[in-house]
Amino acid sequence: MSPAQHGHGPWNGVRVLDLTGLSGAYGTRVWAALGADVICVEPPGGNPIRTMPPLAPGHAGPEASLWWAYYAASKRSVVLDPTDSEDAASLVKLIGTADVVLDDAMPAAQEAYPWLADMGQGGLGVSGIVERYPHLTWVSITPFGMTGPRRHWRSSNLVAWASCGLASTVGFPHGPPLAPAGEIGVLMHGASLHAVIGSMMSVRARNQAGAAGEPALGQTIDLSLQEVGLWLSPETGVPLYLDDQVPRPRAGNRRPVTSPMGMYPASDGYVAIIAIQPAHWNAVAQWVHELTGNEGILDEIFIDIVVRREALEAVDAWVEELTTRFTKQELFVEGQRRRIPITPVNTVGDLRHDPHLEAVGWWRPEEHPVLGTYTVPGSPFTTDGDWWAWQRAPMLGEHTDGVLAELT
Amino acid sequence: MTASANRRPLAGIRVFEISIAVAAPCCGKAMAHHGAEVFKVEAHSYPDVARAFGSAWARDPELADVFCDTGPYVPEMSAGKRSVGLELKQPQALEAAKRLLATCDVFLTNFAAPGIAELGLDYESVKQVCPDIIYAGMTGFGVDPDKPYYPFRAFGPNQAPLVGWDALTGFPHEEPAGIPSIAPPDYMGGLHTMLAIVTALHERDRTGEGRFIDISQLETTVSFLGPYLVGQDLGVPEPFRNGNRVSWAAPAGIYPCAGNDRWIAVEVPDDEAWQALAGLAEWSDVPAHDAGGGAALSTYPHGTLADRVANHDAIDAELSAWTSRRSPQQAAAELQELGVAAYEVLNHTGVLADPQVHDRRPYSIAPSPRLGRDLFVRNPVRLSATPPYVTRAGPNMGGDTVDVLTEIGYSEDDVEQMVSDGTAFVDARPEVVLERPFDRWYESVGIAEFYDAEGSITGGSQ
Repeated sequence: MSPAQHGHGPWNGVRVLDLTGLSGAYGTRVWAALGADVICVEPPGGNPIRTMPPLAPGHAGPEASLWWAYYAASKRSVVLDPTDSEDAASLVKLIGTADVVLDDAMPAAQEAYPWLADMGQGGLGVSGIVERYPHLTWVSITPFGMTGPRRHWRSSNLVAWASCGLASTVGFPHGPPLAPAGEIGVLMHGASLHAVIGSMMSVRARNQAGAAGEPALGQTIDLSLQEVGLWLSPETGVPLYLDDQVPRPRAGNRRPVTSPMGMYPASDGYVAIIAIQPAHWNAVAQWVHELTGNEGILDEIFIDIVVRREALEAVDAWVEELTTRFTKQELFVEGQRRRIPITPVNTVGDLRHDPHLEAVGWWRPEEHPVLGTYTVPGSPFTTDGDWWAWQRAPMLGEHTDGVLAELT
Repeated sequence: MTASANRRPLAGIRVFEISIAVAAPCCGKAMAHHGAEVFKVEAHSYPDVARAFGSAWARDPELADVFCDTGPYVPEMSAGKRSVGLELKQPQALEAAKRLLATCDVFLTNFAAPGIAELGLDYESVKQVCPDIIYAGMTGFGVDPDKPYYPFRAFGPNQAPLVGWDALTGFPHEEPAGIPSIAPPDYMGGLHTMLAIVTALHERDRTGEGRFIDISQLETTVSFLGPYLVGQDLGVPEPFRNGNRVSWAAPAGIYPCAGNDRWIAVEVPDDEAWQALAGLAEWSDVPAHDAGGGAALSTYPHGTLADRVANHDAIDAELSAWTSRRSPQQAAAELQELGVAAYEVLNHTGVLADPQVHDRRPYSIAPSPRLGRDLFVRNPVRLSATPPYVTRAGPNMGGDTVDVLTEIGYSEDDVEQMVSDGTAFVDARPEVVLERPFDRWYESVGIAEFYDAEGSITGGSQ
């Protein structure tokens, strides 16, 4: 990474060591682009993300994964082998230069690192590290937290969605539960955002204490994927259930609350419609009427959502006569013009060519020495300041020498 | 431990929140759990849907005026916040809001940009009364009126289909299942907003200057598709929904267990765990008709990931036969013993009974002005020295109007006048304290920390 990049962004001057995989990667990607010096400490074989499909066609090896190309953007890569005593010593020194370490190792590993034992410190764990470096914030992102009877159990995005109650409500009544958005890994993204927000708050509190002449102390953060899931899904959580004691079954892609509510077929896919308020229903009914000449749908009794629930199949069929005539994008634009809450059920390809994302200039070209030139998504949000600095992902060990040279 | 010993990281930060449903409220909620003082400014003329949902049991017409305080979404989204009742379409109420804003650090809203401008609370107007404000506006499609989707309605449950998540939820041979009953895009919007706000606070510590933050939900949530979007220009096939499978680990799926609608989620993370699983002697017990004719588990004891992906159907058939003979808890314990990631697919009662939830108590119980006490999920970011908590559930709609307005310089007579002329309001019949039908469960469920009004933890472990 060119030295020019340092000195930019609101988190300039803050160093973050990322020892995680998927549970930290998205959040640290955002943090790196906001100016933090995020260093991925990788084993000689590389971070496991480097092997995750999809791979760039025609490529193999540590730079081929598009997960890595995307999630490691703006970060640096340092390869250290903790089983090597010299590398272990460097790692300890490097930790000393960091403000934050994010670690997704299992609790037993975090409680006693062998590479710290090699330093002659007898199985030093996180508590020992933060005692040695009290300015440090250490985030442990683990499947079920650092305590409790299941702390040694393994997890994944899918397993975490199961463990928080949410998966039980996703899917069709006749089929098994499902993870939302499949391998996209939504819960892992949520965990990484929590980890980074917590770290940012801890660093800021430390700096403020220091500025006030108080001890500038870091903290540890114990983040459980199961608890992140509980936070993300009050809809399926205990307080709602205890309020009404109504189980939330899997109901497929339409909610049998009224019609239209849920997914309807378009000529080239699906759209999602939610018509609860009378104005929304009236706009749907008027549109169906204009297209099909259906007079019955204009009957005032259908303004009542309960009547539409009781006549669900008939109303759904009328609505489908409308939706199947158009593409999902046509339904989106015209439906929204008619003030109906309707959206296309977009695919990745649809979004890559979405006219709004195109119009706001979201996409950005990126050049990579191995993968060539391609287009990447822009910043997840914007401000009136000059906050973002995006760089391509680092190649394996690209910054090892430079970073280690700073340590001596 | 008491609250006074815990100076949480956002202590001293004052947040003016004008919000609806989930996206902005969940951001304000997280900030409140970490110590910010959050003012939820509410109006009867455009109530938050969390107020309109109310509760399942308080349907008595005599309770109509306090119904808005009874819903479980009220503490879930707003525990620890103070509710200020101001009908902002009235000039005098707007004046009071601006006086409050002048004392605040953060302005947080997920009202549509035209709506917030109509209320007179666009960035320029807010900046006039509070020059260093950090203004976070969450919209569906940004704040530029010249862009195509600017006038469109962003509606919580419509977000997941729009941003590609629904199409990726389901099995390849079926329609997309989508996620109509849950709202993760809203929570992700809230998290990005909080990240941006904390960043702006950090920046302001150095520069003394405020910031305008534009959180457009579309970009925020499409960002999660990054690797696949990058692949589009490189000739990678579009991803398609594939059940619970993932490209980098196999087998992965949700499998049936003994009992009615009991399931287990299983993901074999690496070759080592696979070999341990495939090495179980029990595979010879799997009846041939369940095994899909493949005997895949015993055939591939040393199978690579590619082998396992190629034989995923056959492996699933055998694994399903194995899990079907066990309870989800028993299957999970056995699989975890082998190094396989596995957990019961918990439903609501499952979460209530979960041993890990009982041990770590991720829920809170705190005093509630309307319900005596109430239950809500606690922020999961467990900072060791300054853990998150709040000391009050609720709030009642308008329950803090008098206190807040007098704190910013109004006399009690002023406030009384504003209430009588309808520019401000207070909570209805504060003396009415109800009890959730399940209140007696609290002591026994053991899933929550108890907080009293002073912030002392009166139960549980910390």
